Formats: sequence, C-alpha cells, structure tokens
Amino acid sequence: MSDKEDKTISRIKEIESINLARDDIRDEVIETKKAVERDNDLLANKVHQSFIDNNIKSFDIVGAIGSGKTALLEKITAKLSSQYRILVICGDITTRLDADRIEKHNAETIQINTGRECALNAYHIHKIIKNKDLKNYDVVFIENVGNLICPSDFILGTDKRLIVVSTTEGEWVVEKHPMLFKMSDIAVINKFDLKERLGTDVDKMISDAKKINPKIEVITTSAKTGENIDKLMNLMGL
Amino acid sequence: MKEELVKIEELIRNFDDIDKSDIKELMQRFFTKLSNRLENYVGDYPTFIEPVYLEDNVKIGDDVLLGPNVYIGANSEIQDYVEISNTIIFNNVKIGENFKLENCVVAKNSSLNFKNLNMKNSVLIGTTNSKDELQSMEF
Repeated sequence: MSDKEDKTISRIKEIESINLARDDIRDEVIETKKAVERDNDLLANKVHQSFIDNNIKSFDIVGAIGSGKTALLEKITAKLSSQYRILVICGDITTRLDADRIEKHNAETIQINTGRECALNAYHIHKIIKNKDLKNYDVVFIENVGNLICPSDFILGTDKRLIVVSTTEGEWVVEKHPMLFKMSDIAVINKFDLKERLGTDVDKMISDAKKINPKIEVITTSAKTGENIDKLMNLMGL
Repeated sequence: MKEELVKIEELIRNFDDIDKSDIKELMQRFFTKLSNRLENYVGDYPTFIEPVYLEDNVKIGDDVLLGPNVYIGANSEIQDYVEISNTIIFNNVKIGENFKLENCVVAKNSSLNFKNLNMKNSVLIGTTNSKDELQSMEF
C-alpha cells in the first residue's frame, strides 16, 4: 500500500452530504468520498480474507436501536459457547453495556465506542484483528451501532450481514429503510411475541423485505421467549 | 501492568542507549495486561477501541481515534484529528493535531507542538515546535 493510500485510509471520514460542499471544492469532496468508500471496501476484503484463512464464520449484525440485537446475541452465544470459541465486537456510541451482557455467556468481547460516528467501518475491524491471533476463534459476531441508515455505507468484511428489526417499530420500518435490507442476507423480525398485542402487520414486513431483496431470508423470532432462535442459527449455518 | 510501565520509563530515560529488543518485549507484555479505563477524561466522546487506559485528566480533542492498546498518562493532551494505537504516552505529554502514532512510546513531559506527524515503532521525546527538531529513535 502506498503512503498516499495509507494516509487516506488512516482518516476515514464519512462525508455526509455532497450538497454541503462549496462549488470550488465540490470535485475534491466527491473524489474523497469515492476514495473513502473504495478504501473501506479494500479493507473489508482484507478482513474477510483473514476470517476465511482462519476458518472463522463471521456475521455483521445491524438493526434499529432497541430491536433486540444484543438480546439475540445473548441467546445465540449462550447456545454456542460450549462448542465454539466466540469473539463479539460491539459497536456503540458510548458505554460497554452490551459487551458486558454478552460476556456473561462465555464469549470474549471487545467494545468499540464510536463517539460521534454512527456506524462501524472496516478500519475499526481491521484495527482489532491486526492485534488478535485469529486462530483462537471459530465465530466472530460484530454488533453494529443501533442505526438503520449509516451502516449501509460501510461493509465490514463478514460472511453474512443480518438485519434486525422488531414488531415494536411498526410495519413500515422495512419499507422506510430499503438500503440495508438490500445489502443484508438475513432479515430478523424480532419481538414476535408482541405481535398480537401491538397489532403489527408482520406479513407486510416480510413481503416488503422480499420485495426489496428477493434473495433475503426472512425469519421471525422472539429473543425473550427463545422462539425460532434455533432456526435462525440454522439459517446462519451455525 | 504498572510494573512494565515503570521499566519502560526507566529504559527510555537514557535515550542514547535504549535496548530495542527490551522495549519491544516490555511493550508486548504491557499490552497483554492492559485493562480499560475511560473515566475522568476531558473531551466529547472520541472513538475508543478497547483496551484503552486513560489516567486522570487526559484532554482529548475532536475526531480522535484511540486504540486498541493505548495507555495515556495523567494530564496529557491529545489534540484534534489524532489517531493512536499500540502506544504508551507518559504523564504531561502534549500531542499535536493530526498525529498518527502506531507502536510508539512518548516520554513524560514531552510537548510536541506542531501538526501532522505519522510515526511507527519509535520512542519520541522532547519539547519542540517543529517536526525537524523532534528527537526520535526507531525500534
């Protein structure tokens, strides 16, 4: 990697909107944005290759705030930790509350506090795996920052991406956030146990997800009752 | 953890005669023991990748990425757009804007009052307003 590339990668800055750029720097802003996206993809490929080389199954879990990403991961790690060596990378703006919850189920955790950034990027993940002996793990889960928008800008280099939404967010949540559904392999509609009480039209959520991405696998779960967790793990190949 | 820290501080005291293999080994040992401590810093939510250990009253600017494996001593200051990993910074150090430090040690009371520095595998020391005057030793 050249010094110039290295320098560009070293400061991955998400440029929120080209419209904000003054006319005299518009070209430069567009080129920088393209370079940042390209560099993220390059690093994500590097990360994925490292996982493959070490026979690690890897998952990026994205989803809305409070949709149940951590609760699902608690259930999954509790079931898997006796047979697999698990590393969970947790992304949050601040605190290590999620990592502490997951750690109780015998998985190693690393917290990334993104501060003011709204999603994890491949640079964060690359920084971690550079310092880890990946031979010590069989499965890596990356729990992204709770957000249905920003993670679509950055792939992380995992085998599969799961998107988690829940019945409490209403039946329009899928239709309103198409990009992440387009980029995900499995859609999880969690808190299925609350469906009747809330009157959420889950069939609409399922058909919206399929309409946006015909290849996506859709599953309903309840992290609270444990419903369909085994089926979800089957879909994930675990 | 503190034991290695004291040894590293001792080792870099005599700047012209640092044992490079000792410092590498000590740093490796130090990082395997490093825990997380993020309380008592002054700043607005930088990015942290565990483990990061901040002693009291560390000032951190905007758009700063710290970690993994970062120790920063008391009363040190990290300015904007800085990225630091696998690095030990001792007490009362000032790190200038847009520094990128990887696998470095910065001696106590160093004040690096300039912008834009990209260093790897080095000990840095001194008070300086210019990159050209910076005292450093690669290991």
